[in-house]
Amino acid sequence: MFVVTFLVRRLAQGAVIIFLVSFLIFTLLRVVPGDPVRLMAGGMAPEELIEQIAEDMGLRDPIPVQFARYMGGVIQGDLGQSFLRPASGAAVGGAQFDDATRAERAEVLTLIAETAPMTIQLALLSMVFALLIATPIGIAGGLYPGRWPDRLALYLGSLFVSLPNFWLGIVLVLLLSVKLGWLPAIGYGGFAWTILPALVLAIEIAPFILRTLTVSVAQVMQENYIAAATVRGLGRTRIVFAHALKNASVPLLNLLGVQFSLLLGGVLVIEFIFDYPGLGLLTINAVLQRDFPLIQGIAIVTSAAFVLINIIVDLAATAIDPRLDY
Amino acid sequence: MTAEGMTTAAGAAADDDRTRSISRRIAAGAWASVEFKIGFFGFLGILLMALVWPEISALDPTAMNVRARQLPPLFLGEGWTWAHPLGTDQLGRDMLLRSLVGLRYSLLIGISTVLLMLAIGGLVGLFAGYRGGLTDTVLMRITDAQLSIPMIILAIAILGVARPTIPAIILVLGLSGWPVYARVMRSVVMAERKKEYVRGAKVLGASDTRIMFRMLLPLCLTPIAFVAVLDVARMMIFEAVLGFLGLGVQPPTPTFGNIIADGRKYLVNAWWIATMPGVFLFITLASLNLMGAALERSRNRVFGGVG
Amino acid sequence: MSVDPLIEVRGLTVAAGDRVILDDISLSLAPRAILGLIGESGSGKTVLAQALVNWLPAGLRITKGEIRYRGRDVLTLPRAEARRLRGREIGYVGANPAGALDPTLSVGSQLVEKLRAVEPGVSKQEARDRAIALLGAVHIPSPEMRFHEYPFQYSGGMMQRAMIVDAMISNPALLVADNITQPLDVTIGAQIIKLMRELTEQFDTAILFVSSSLPTVADLAGDILVLSNGAIVEHQPAPSLVATPRHPYTEKLIAELPTLWTDRGVGTPREHAPDAPAIMSIRQVSKTYEAAGKSPFGAKRRIQAVRNADFDVFEGENFGVVGESGCGKSTLMRLLTGLEPPDSGQVLFEGRDLAVQHGAALRATRQRLQLVLQDPYSSLPPQTSIGDIIAEPLHIHAIGGRRERRRRALDMMGEVGLARALYDELPAGLSAGQRQRVNVARAMILEPRLLIMDETLSALDQTEQAKLLDLFERLQAQHNFTYVFISHDIAMVRRVCGRIAVMYLGEVVELALNQRLFFDPGHPYSKALLSAAPTLEERRYRPEDCLLEGEPPSPIDLPPGCAFASRCPSAFARCRTENPPAFPRGHHDRAECFLLDPAHTSPLQKARPDA
Repeated sequence: MFVVTFLVRRLAQGAVIIFLVSFLIFTLLRVVPGDPVRLMAGGMAPEELIEQIAEDMGLRDPIPVQFARYMGGVIQGDLGQSFLRPASGAAVGGAQFDDATRAERAEVLTLIAETAPMTIQLALLSMVFALLIATPIGIAGGLYPGRWPDRLALYLGSLFVSLPNFWLGIVLVLLLSVKLGWLPAIGYGGFAWTILPALVLAIEIAPFILRTLTVSVAQVMQENYIAAATVRGLGRTRIVFAHALKNASVPLLNLLGVQFSLLLGGVLVIEFIFDYPGLGLLTINAVLQRDFPLIQGIAIVTSAAFVLINIIVDLAATAIDPRLDY
Repeated sequence: MTAEGMTTAAGAAADDDRTRSISRRIAAGAWASVEFKIGFFGFLGILLMALVWPEISALDPTAMNVRARQLPPLFLGEGWTWAHPLGTDQLGRDMLLRSLVGLRYSLLIGISTVLLMLAIGGLVGLFAGYRGGLTDTVLMRITDAQLSIPMIILAIAILGVARPTIPAIILVLGLSGWPVYARVMRSVVMAERKKEYVRGAKVLGASDTRIMFRMLLPLCLTPIAFVAVLDVARMMIFEAVLGFLGLGVQPPTPTFGNIIADGRKYLVNAWWIATMPGVFLFITLASLNLMGAALERSRNRVFGGVG
Repeated sequence: MSVDPLIEVRGLTVAAGDRVILDDISLSLAPRAILGLIGESGSGKTVLAQALVNWLPAGLRITKGEIRYRGRDVLTLPRAEARRLRGREIGYVGANPAGALDPTLSVGSQLVEKLRAVEPGVSKQEARDRAIALLGAVHIPSPEMRFHEYPFQYSGGMMQRAMIVDAMISNPALLVADNITQPLDVTIGAQIIKLMRELTEQFDTAILFVSSSLPTVADLAGDILVLSNGAIVEHQPAPSLVATPRHPYTEKLIAELPTLWTDRGVGTPREHAPDAPAIMSIRQVSKTYEAAGKSPFGAKRRIQAVRNADFDVFEGENFGVVGESGCGKSTLMRLLTGLEPPDSGQVLFEGRDLAVQHGAALRATRQRLQLVLQDPYSSLPPQTSIGDIIAEPLHIHAIGGRRERRRRALDMMGEVGLARALYDELPAGLSAGQRQRVNVARAMILEPRLLIMDETLSALDQTEQAKLLDLFERLQAQHNFTYVFISHDIAMVRRVCGRIAVMYLGEVVELALNQRLFFDPGHPYSKALLSAAPTLEERRYRPEDCLLEGEPPSPIDLPPGCAFASRCPSAFARCRTENPPAFPRGHHDRAECFLLDPAHTSPLQKARPDA
């Protein structure tokens, strides 16, 4: 029963968050300088035509009016159409102002739906890599604070977090792809193309997992019930695996919720470097082309994903630790 | 259960420790560790270089020299020279000098951004945590909304359409990075607010403003500020990312981001143009992160007894 | 002794580095016996208890001696065997039940886990049945349901019972009980002691009962060991130890124990002059909080923290408010000091309602109404120097210049017995007693008329308490303060307060003059509280007669009728349906109990000699 009320409450809160995000992005995009119509129509277009297009698209209405119209669409599942991208192909860049295809611009939702699975694949694989790297070291570090596994966790974490992702991407492409030819890197032609970007992303995420896990395991190991378990007659293995790790996993889950944006930010840059056709690349191109509806759509979708992931994280945390009952 | 045993065992050391203020204990604890010293001296060295070398060097970071194009770093490849320890780029500009100048901007932006984040996040967290109720709900919903947009998307969305100047970059990064601080500050203040001395101050007649700014702010912000060193490093990476995307400080001013982005085109012929500034940045960040990690651990030890 | 001892310790010495914690300890315990071990905090008694189960904290080492369990040397056993021995043959229950079980797993599953870890042959079903049976045996209501609940759903007393089950589930021959009643309320502690007695009879378990409270140990144990500074200074059967202590340390221990009924000439508690005006009046005050678990649709759960409190505090008196945890004393403190407004009713200070005062008027009132806080550690801002802490009130109320403030703070420090040299120190280095003096100085520097002491002395040991009480008396004589002491410690209240209000679940169930409350309590709860108080005196009231099994009801869904009815031996039908109003008992005394209703005459009331 409480799961239902919990979900209702959190979804309602989530809706508020998404609304705020939409409003923020929508307003920001309209108050900063730079006219998207100029880009759409091309540099050569006469001033009257630009004004007319803008007029047609409602871009000269007051911002609240535009926002209300936009949100009306969003509620019906319509995120609008891209300013620039045609419905058929992946052609990028300013079309001619008299281009006939302008009428059939791509649906934002379609564009996102096409690229999102690629990004999810990348994100999941990098998560697996990151957990493979970070969990054993993090747990060992937490179990032996001040000793060598702990030092290893500290140094490894500090080194990994100091590697700028775009630079690491370039270096790994140079080494593993160009020089050694082990892995394909640029573009996408199958699962193998995901491995290298996922690795770079994993190295970006791993330090955070490492740090959280070391601290939380060390903290749990100091809890009264861990000490008491020994005198109650439980064995060390049981204490660590059945009790300590279970309790230490809650902060890790919360980290995933909070650092979701870190993951997405990383995805963005890495997709750009590897020319990986996911949501991140779409975002960067949308920003560089001032494709307002696309930017807005992506912001709404990512904040919705953020809300959902946090709900899932909290549900999972509640399942692990019943004290967190909402 | 072991309380008694713990006190007896750790008693002598703790007594001595308790007479010092929390900040000094954190600083002293960090200083005692090897990793802090490595980081500190590494950073100090690089910082001095960045401050001094561009001033005394005869070279100009933006001056082209067609005859000395694409020279490799010391001992690597053919044609290296002591005049250009890190080699030169496709236009014959000195890589060391460009990296050092880039580092200046990187540090300037990283530190200012973190200060801005601390100021905004600290204040929002202080008000939300202390006032509670409606103030808390409203402020935290805004924080959540902000947190749900990946910082980098927000930053490039704004900088992509506005002109990326240094104040704009600081403002954008700072405005998009404060929510984490607000959350931490809020939880610390909420815990502290329930303590008896706050109640005591109220009974004494102290106003809320006095309690918030004279008692809670210094007490709660200091431990957070120590760990902000880690975020300086993170912001420096963001600055580099922005530069890499062409949304950072604009050329001809060299920054890590735009050097690496430029060098990427010459990756096969002159690999060092893209990689050497990265190594430089990496060393700087690693020193900062080692310091930050040592401070963080020391803080955790002071507060939670976990080492 | 003719029987072979169950456990025998010879010449045990434990050290932390070079410092000796336990020095040459020898003791032996026969099967089915209860051995008491008494010592102050820091005497090493917990270390001894832990050494017996071979579970010393890191940094402590056994340097000499041996521990034999049924003739086998425990210390030289291989690790795995030692572990099995300590879980299975020797049970251990510690002082802190709150964190002793994994919060993420149900209590039942952890009991099963423990039994199966030390006795691998037991099936899950068998372990479950045994756990439920034992939960019933320690008087946990509806054990089948409680089996599936999580540790945080248990109250402190119930959790301690669960930990006793945890220790007893493998049917150990020896139970080491380390200060198990210390964190509990006295009435709950009394129930646990009763339970320990039942357990030895029912399961033939020998108990080593470690405690810092001599009365508790004397109640339960056959023989008592006295531990001081890591050495055993005395060993006698309980009655003779109390009657004729041999060691000066034991004598001091007994002499320092506060008494409830025996007059030791410590002076009479301060009562107000007959014509003294009321300085503070509480008029039908109630306060309700919303419970944390909230949902948008479900009904809000309300905690009724204070219900219809109504009393006066007269100028110049020492007024006591006494009650156990959850009775509403802390809420009452917040209401009295104006930190929170009541939901209904009024708190009048000097005739004016605190709730309607704001800004400058409120600040002016606060100069005359001060609070001394409970916890000596969290009550002082950690980064401020002691002098600044004490002078802070002057600063807030803009009294005097910089030099004047410093002078007054230094004077105040002298008055409460703090060295002037401490002026620039941080509070971190101070002892609990010194910290409370800082608190007192800070409250008194404004020269208030009414001081509210919220558990001010609870964290201090007997000696330090006595010193501070003397200080309070002296300051009162000088400045004519009025004190309100809020405390759970009935002995302290007995010594200090002229009039006492007894609280139970948010209500003032009895209000009486000191002498009357202790010799002729009007409310059965007051009697239960007196019966459970730790004292070596001949008890006027025995817990067996005054208190039923069971826990206080939850303040969230209070039953109709009298809140104490579920634990009251004299409750009758009316008590369960109707909440008794206050019945006057002469003077200003009154109690909320139907036994006092003139319309009600029970045999009990007739039998009372002085009613």
